[in-house]
Amino acid sequence: MRVSRELLVTGLLVALILLTALANPHVLQFKSLVEILNASLTLVLITLGEMFVILTRGIDVSVGASAGLAATVLGTVLNLGWGLPAAIGAALATGLAAGAVNAFGITVLRVPPIIMTLGTLGIYRGLMRIITGGSWIENLPQSIKAPNLWHFLGVPFFVWVTLAVLLLTAWVALRYRPARYFYAVGDNEAGAYLLGLPVRATQFLAYTLAGLFAALAAVVFTSQIGFVSMNAAEGYELKAIAANVLGGVSLTGGVGTPLGAAVGALFMTAVHSMLIFLGVPGVWDNAFAGVILLLVVFADFRLRRSLELRRRQARIQGEPAGGEAR
Amino acid sequence: MAERLLELRQVWKVFSGVPVLKGVDFDLAPGEIHALLGGNGSGKSTLMKIIAGAYRMDAGEMRLLGRPVRPESPHAAQALGIYMVPQEPHVFPHLSVRENLAMGLALGPRPLAEKLGPLLEGLGFEVDLEEEAAFLSIAQQQLLEIVRGLLRDARVLIFDEPTSALTFREAEHLFDQMRALARRGIGIVFISHRLGEVMEVADRITVLRDGRVVLEDAARRLSPHDLVRAMLPDTAASDEEEPAAAPRRGGAPVLEVRGLSSEAFHDADLTLYPGEVLGIAGLVGSGRTELAEAIVGLDPHATGEVRVGGVPLPRRNPALCQAHGLVYVPEDRHAHGIFLDLPSLHTMTAGILPRLGRWLLDRRREEAVGRRFVELLNIKLTGLDQPAGTLSGGNQQKVVLAKALSTQPRAVILDEPTRGIDASARRDVYRLVRSLVRQGVGVVLISSELEEVVELADRVLVMHKGRIVGELRGPEISLERVTEASFGLPLKEAS
Repeated sequence: MRVSRELLVTGLLVALILLTALANPHVLQFKSLVEILNASLTLVLITLGEMFVILTRGIDVSVGASAGLAATVLGTVLNLGWGLPAAIGAALATGLAAGAVNAFGITVLRVPPIIMTLGTLGIYRGLMRIITGGSWIENLPQSIKAPNLWHFLGVPFFVWVTLAVLLLTAWVALRYRPARYFYAVGDNEAGAYLLGLPVRATQFLAYTLAGLFAALAAVVFTSQIGFVSMNAAEGYELKAIAANVLGGVSLTGGVGTPLGAAVGALFMTAVHSMLIFLGVPGVWDNAFAGVILLLVVFADFRLRRSLELRRRQARIQGEPAGGEAR
Repeated sequence: MAERLLELRQVWKVFSGVPVLKGVDFDLAPGEIHALLGGNGSGKSTLMKIIAGAYRMDAGEMRLLGRPVRPESPHAAQALGIYMVPQEPHVFPHLSVRENLAMGLALGPRPLAEKLGPLLEGLGFEVDLEEEAAFLSIAQQQLLEIVRGLLRDARVLIFDEPTSALTFREAEHLFDQMRALARRGIGIVFISHRLGEVMEVADRITVLRDGRVVLEDAARRLSPHDLVRAMLPDTAASDEEEPAAAPRRGGAPVLEVRGLSSEAFHDADLTLYPGEVLGIAGLVGSGRTELAEAIVGLDPHATGEVRVGGVPLPRRNPALCQAHGLVYVPEDRHAHGIFLDLPSLHTMTAGILPRLGRWLLDRRREEAVGRRFVELLNIKLTGLDQPAGTLSGGNQQKVVLAKALSTQPRAVILDEPTRGIDASARRDVYRLVRSLVRQGVGVVLISSELEEVVELADRVLVMHKGRIVGELRGPEISLERVTEASFGLPLKEAS
């Protein structure tokens, strides 16, 4: 039985929290744990969207910018006096459109994913500044900040929303037949084509979903912080990719689960929170997260490699290549 | 005439001006196993890809149960009931076997299970359906492909060299299954290089040569030698070239290989002396390239002993081999041998940069080396700085050869040195091989073009299914004998 990456990272997460608790027991308080969860929501949502792209063996480095653009649209229309539902609708539509533009460039115009999304990364960030003239969007109406204060069983509303989204994604990925196409296309694109799977439509959907999830994240973090900066969600594209890798979503496509991706994202943010609890200066955050990512991925890689090696050697020794006996 | 399941008439296919199929007729009856044979490049794969919808014919017609059809894609062919079991099965390694089987089918779990049960039982496909497909053996992966075809109600199954990666027992099992499928009325096209197994399973045999059908008859009326004769080119007897002026052979071997094994070949021994050309003949997939790669250390899993110039090299890589005087010129020059966008000179001197200066390159010495090889190999270029990618195929190959020879090796392994190059460049390469031999260099020549091996080699090792099955020397080397051995027929005693 192989230890799944989800379990490995979950175990590491628990170990990390317990180790921190040795130094600072406050971390185990219900309030602290909820706070860690609450801080991870943005990354969890963006990571889930990115997961679809990586499953198909693609990459999207524009998701942070898509989230920023969606947040900008959200803040702008709110300040124009739109109602909250309409404004959220506009933000989600923006994310969907941003993802669809990537999808069009990649699946129809055949621009390599990294180049297409590097381009739109610049374009979406640029659009944010064009829309606002470069200034932050402040003085947002109370309606957008309110949901962040709602609680159910002592847990913030958005934690429940994200959990619901995660469970829905996990259920779809596990049960809904066409969701298997993401895996098949990433695992063996030529084989998927030969079996008549809609390869390009699947890839198109993946990038569009990445945009939609980014917009969802935008709604969450705008509500949480109450203003939109021009640097909103900057750097989240790389964090989302790292979280996916950490959670066992293979960059070579076809492997990974929504739960793994979410645990990866949770782990990435938990590292930051734990360093705060340990009193480590914030300047260490990024370096620490990078080291942990490399350690986990390297250990996992070595494990897989030694298994593969043993299998190949068994094959060479067990079976002469010819079997000429006729 | 019995009802025809599949019928092709006067099929033509042209690739970039070169006709590959020249009016081929082919048909298949229900319940028949029809073998399709031919040497490398005879057009049999192209024909099968047309039937399976991967290529479209340029002229001709195709009928399925009398109805004209023209599948536009593999998927369209599958919808018509034609399924090709590819040589390399297309599995999704990280999905379960069940998911692999269900992929692309609009069947719910229950109808799928109902359809699958009897199929799996009938085929003796004993495997855990929830297991990841990465753990299936090649034979099981092939069964998976067969089941995929049957799930799509295939009436025509095409097997493209299905046994090339199977053991003897696995192959026997596959034949049983093919016979069982045929009994159920499915028509089977069977492509193979192995005459023995073709004689064993096929009802009818068609031989293609150079894009034409040269033989078509019931298997029981044919012998393996009939098949070999049909596959040989018309000019088989031509033997014009100058007799190889007695090469300066002798002395200590420059390359010795003992008991080298890997996944693709088994227990290979060879010895190369200075001043000789050792040909390695065999069909595509017989393990020739893999052997060469293992010799220079490109396969870390190979086991066995390799000595270059008498020095054992247990842990090898191409750079180490080169340092001991052995260079390998790979088959796929674009992927492994040449810098397409850089000046041609950069490829030619890539192997000797340390000799051209310690920190800074001595441009004059570098250009002198380049000019020497341009002259020696008759390379046609506008200047040493012309990007290699803009040269013709033949001249690219010469640039790659210059790179290998600039290191002044004692032994050279040439893998398919004349693939895809024109006749005059081919002459230049042959001339080069002869001049190397005169200088006392040992040359291992790997080629699918048996004529080339016959023309150049002093000794020929024949590989078949991953084994060296025979050695021919001097006067014993003939096109017919090399061909027979390549197809796995026993070598007759030298007469």
